[in-house]
Amino acid sequence: MTVRPPTLREKRRYVLVQLDPPGTAIDPKELYYAISDAVTSLWGDAAAGVIVPAVICAEGRYVVVRCRRGTERELTVAISTVTQVRDTRIALRTVATSGTIESLRDRMKTDPAPPGPAALPEEARFAGNGYAVVHGDGQKIDVIEKGFKNTHRLYLTTEDLEKNHATTIPDGI
Amino acid sequence: MKITDAAVCPFPHGDTSVRRFALEAAALGFDSLVALDTPPATYSGIEVKSGILIRTPSMKEVIAQVKREAGSGTVVSVKAGDAGFNRAAVGYRGVHILRGIHAADRNAFDHVTAKMAADNRVAVDIDLSVLIGARGVLRQRAIQRYRDVLVLEDRFEFPLTLSTYARSVLDLRAVREITGLCSLLGMDLADVERAFGGVGAVTDPVPPAVRVVS
Repeated sequence: MTVRPPTLREKRRYVLVQLDPPGTAIDPKELYYAISDAVTSLWGDAAAGVIVPAVICAEGRYVVVRCRRGTERELTVAISTVTQVRDTRIALRTVATSGTIESLRDRMKTDPAPPGPAALPEEARFAGNGYAVVHGDGQKIDVIEKGFKNTHRLYLTTEDLEKNHATTIPDGI
Repeated sequence: MKITDAAVCPFPHGDTSVRRFALEAAALGFDSLVALDTPPATYSGIEVKSGILIRTPSMKEVIAQVKREAGSGTVVSVKAGDAGFNRAAVGYRGVHILRGIHAADRNAFDHVTAKMAADNRVAVDIDLSVLIGARGVLRQRAIQRYRDVLVLEDRFEFPLTLSTYARSVLDLRAVREITGLCSLLGMDLADVERAFGGVGAVTDPVPPAVRVVS
């Protein structure tokens, strides 16, 4: 099959999306289904056929989503309605839109990497319960309750934990 | 004018502490938040206002709760009910926001209530969590109801507020994303900016009609 000349190819736009919470392992195919479902649900089949969303790549916290030029707004609005992939709760935050994937890759590189897990405590106490720390980024700290039940993620700050520690310190220290 | 999310539900209602909400809200472009059942404070440069949501269908209980909060600076919201209840709630001094219009009867918020809301400076809330989280008929009905509210707002100019009802940081949306979502309701940028400042409009004291300059 011969390749179409550039003037006859359809023009595309690429949207850089940040995946929250950080550290969530998402299959790009599942993410595509979630985005496609959101687009179809919000704008209908006819518009989805015009937008033609596609997940191009997922690198770390970032995902690049492709659409047809002129439909970026519709795609970003639909992306903001994605709340979960399979049973995993996520949020997709639109960072930038570009005509090339290369410029979005540059954008990804310019974002500072969050501090590694080595700087984090392994355990934390909050509201009288013990939690395992799963992620930290500056003041932000994500924890999961220890045990087999109720192991959902809590989103806290280091100040929340410090304050809790301060109240649990016995008198005289 | 402050860009305010008119309702978030921090821990223990949700899975996020109020400090974390403030941190994330600052990154997403907000200046202030109304946190339900949380004392007022300022974290990370974000003003956190205390808020309560009264969910009772009895006006007597609404009056009792509003009296309890009088003078505390708490943003008082009332969940919408039938037309009579909404008129009574909007007409009662101390109520700041009428919420949940999308879930009320079709005629629950009519032109009379709209006029009263404008006169008494009571805001009508637009719940973005329905636009984000709901699918199908539920979302269609909410869009239809809010478009109807916006027709009345255009005519009577009562304040509007925008709420994400976030119980988690994952439910928060950036100001730019909210602007996109509001475009589904036919709101332009100026409308959205005005709605973001709706909490300030209903809680700040009314400037005097006549000011003595010398």
